[in-house]
Amino acid sequence: MSKPDVPSSSVQVKESLFKRYENLTVLSIFASFVAIVVIVQLITTGGSRFPTFISPVNIVNILQQVAVPGIVAVSMTMVMISGGIDLSVGMLASLVSIIVAMGISQWHLGVGPSILLGVVSAIALETIMGFIISRTRIEPFIITLGGMISFQGIALLLSNSREVVMKGELNFLTTNLVEGARDPVTGLILRVPPYVLVFFVIALIAGLLLTYTKYGRRIYAVGTSPRAAFLAGIDVRNMRLSVYMIQGLLVGIGATMLLARINTGIITLGQGLEIDTIAMVVIGGTALSGGKGNIVGTLIGVLFLGSIANAMNLLRLPSEVQFLAKGLVVIIAVSAGDVSSQISDFWGLKREQAKARNVEATAKKGGQ
Amino acid sequence: MDEILRLSHISKTFPGVRALQDISFDLKRGEVHCLCGENGAGKSTLIKILSGAFRPDDGGQIFFNGNEVSLTPHAALRMGIHTIYQEHIVFNDLSITENIFAGSELTRMGVMQRKEMRRQTENVLRYLKSDLSPDIRMSALTSGQQKTVEIAKALVSKSNVIILDEPTASFSSQEIETVLNIVKTVKEDGIGVIYISHHLEEVFAIGDRATVLRDGRQVSMYPIAELTKTTLIKDMVGRDPSTFYKRERVKRGEVVLEVRNVSGNGVQDVSFELHRGEVLGFAGMVGSGRSELMELLFGSAALVHGEIAINGRPVEHASPKSAIRNKMCFITEDRQNTGLFLPKTIAENVAVANMVNTRQFITRPSDEAVTGEKYIKLLNIKAPSAQTRVVNLSGGNQQKVVLGKWFNTGGEIFIFDEPSHGIDVGSKQEIYKVMVDLLKEDKAILMVSSDMPEVISMSDRVIVFKQGEIAGELSGEELTEENILSLSIGLQKSSAFQ
Repeated sequence: MSKPDVPSSSVQVKESLFKRYENLTVLSIFASFVAIVVIVQLITTGGSRFPTFISPVNIVNILQQVAVPGIVAVSMTMVMISGGIDLSVGMLASLVSIIVAMGISQWHLGVGPSILLGVVSAIALETIMGFIISRTRIEPFIITLGGMISFQGIALLLSNSREVVMKGELNFLTTNLVEGARDPVTGLILRVPPYVLVFFVIALIAGLLLTYTKYGRRIYAVGTSPRAAFLAGIDVRNMRLSVYMIQGLLVGIGATMLLARINTGIITLGQGLEIDTIAMVVIGGTALSGGKGNIVGTLIGVLFLGSIANAMNLLRLPSEVQFLAKGLVVIIAVSAGDVSSQISDFWGLKREQAKARNVEATAKKGGQ
Repeated sequence: MDEILRLSHISKTFPGVRALQDISFDLKRGEVHCLCGENGAGKSTLIKILSGAFRPDDGGQIFFNGNEVSLTPHAALRMGIHTIYQEHIVFNDLSITENIFAGSELTRMGVMQRKEMRRQTENVLRYLKSDLSPDIRMSALTSGQQKTVEIAKALVSKSNVIILDEPTASFSSQEIETVLNIVKTVKEDGIGVIYISHHLEEVFAIGDRATVLRDGRQVSMYPIAELTKTTLIKDMVGRDPSTFYKRERVKRGEVVLEVRNVSGNGVQDVSFELHRGEVLGFAGMVGSGRSELMELLFGSAALVHGEIAINGRPVEHASPKSAIRNKMCFITEDRQNTGLFLPKTIAENVAVANMVNTRQFITRPSDEAVTGEKYIKLLNIKAPSAQTRVVNLSGGNQQKVVLGKWFNTGGEIFIFDEPSHGIDVGSKQEIYKVMVDLLKEDKAILMVSSDMPEVISMSDRVIVFKQGEIAGELSGEELTEENILSLSIGLQKSSAFQ
């Protein structure tokens, strides 16, 4: 059956600014959020003090808090671009923290081997899930949900449901890299621990990987259309497997950093990490359906979500409000792109209709 | 026999396409009226008008039981006009009873009347001489039995007209027998049946009258008793070959692809050779196994048996990856879903397939853009830049992006599956020209096409498929619409016309 073709024309659809620069929407929302907090601070202090929200010490503080979820969000971005999702990262992080803590304080493996054991276990467990996901047609949502529950079980079995306390063996990961530096605005001591740096290095590597390598381009292809990717000669199954392996590596690293901060391997360590990281990634513009997203967007999402709780504290709002605020931010950030494109479609249609009316009117005049 | 349905002077225009032109058609109670025509003759459009899915152009009239009506899907169902489409539309995990009453459940004060529904289902199944239990799940049934259930559904909702669109496509002969018997039973009950089939034997077995469509026009209408197969085929084809696209011929080179006794994916024991500088066309009905063969050759479906050799060297294509490395290219029919990454840019789409051939790990978006621009120029793609998203292009330009993607791999054996499907006339000619240019560069083309003028004008030779097997090969003088059609519906070539 010959289908009626869309009339071919050389007229090209002009895309709005927000469509062309993917990160512009979330960036502008984030900027307005920062502006609002700053203005509120200026008003409440009568403009007498520098707004603490954007003081260097506070920014560094936010970075410390978001570094670990940020590291996991980087690999979550890759998983989601490939069309997958991973609900297990939180419990996997708890499990890794318990393995590393036990390795150091109970099995006496030494610091290096214990960290290695933790990271390798994370990669192995993610590989198992990735293997099932890439070789079957079962939804990644379900496999990683199962993974999340089983990892919780393994962690509780290993630790006998108890916390594993260390004696600060991982403190080298929390030393201050800028010893003695002070905030020029508030005069407070600045602290930049290594894991903040690690976060930025990982984000940079992942960003370059996604944009400038064959591997990265193929992740997008697989997420956009697995069938078309397969027919273009891409090994779709191994691509999907590989993103979960990377996820394992970064969860392993992130969990070790988290353990260094808390000094205790405990089941609650990674609780809610999956929720936070998925929220960060989707705020950053990555589509749940795959094929769309980038690391810069995720970075914005990480900072945005991380600064909400901080801003609520500074504005002296009760901590309960921050959950509401976080939830609203997710919804607003994700729907903003769609709403703006619907608005531009609407005005496009109006313009077309006006044009058609004009043509009709001229035609009538000409006929008389 | 009294008349139940009449169409008078019905036309249907889509932007740029006249799908139906001045069709008049009528159906009597207790009659089987067959609709015949090639792919694209307008049968499906006509059915969609009858089922209310399409609104005909102004000027035509539709009468139901002598009253003029305007058909919407809802109105059509209320009048008892029931369409059974080629693809099964069933709920696989529900029982026969639940399928039959899906959407029109019998209830009393909101409570389902399960027993009553089951009883009615059983009655109608027995009436259709089927011994199926009403409780069997749909997924456990064969295609033929599922068709029985769909017809049963039409009967339960008190039909006056049943439209069957290719009810027997891909059925075994025994299943065809079942369907034909059911149609006979139904017609004796005073229901009018509109029957569409590519199998002309069925038309002669159960039809009372036959209407032939060609290119959206009504060619003829006969009582079956006065009709012969020869006349029917003559009416279905009969375009003027001098209006076809004229293509430049290229000197044929050595054999580049050999296929020996290939089976699998619904294809049975296929052998042929492809030479450099030639277009080998594959004709046949939709679903006759042509695209399935191409998937085997390209490694996207598993080979059960047989050998493939490229340049005399046996190859095994475990996946498209190895096929691309062996310089094969596959321009698929469903370009939007399997040929392109719609939300991505032209540059990204063009770069993706060649990745299996490149060694370096690093890719530069700026290099991709340069390659994209190169193919925009080469293939005359109408787009402002290589950063244009493919989703914003027209069908013809999208197809050119697919071509760019494959040209970029440096391939030599091109598989075109329906190369001009859904493409405007201008782009069609450009794509034909590009195909001839490929031949001049000593490359070879396999072309699957259901567009008769395209197959005849573009191919050097044509292999006709029927039910997964080669029904015959045509070239030169023998390459006519009549011969292709005869072979694809199972008659001997030429003999029927001499």
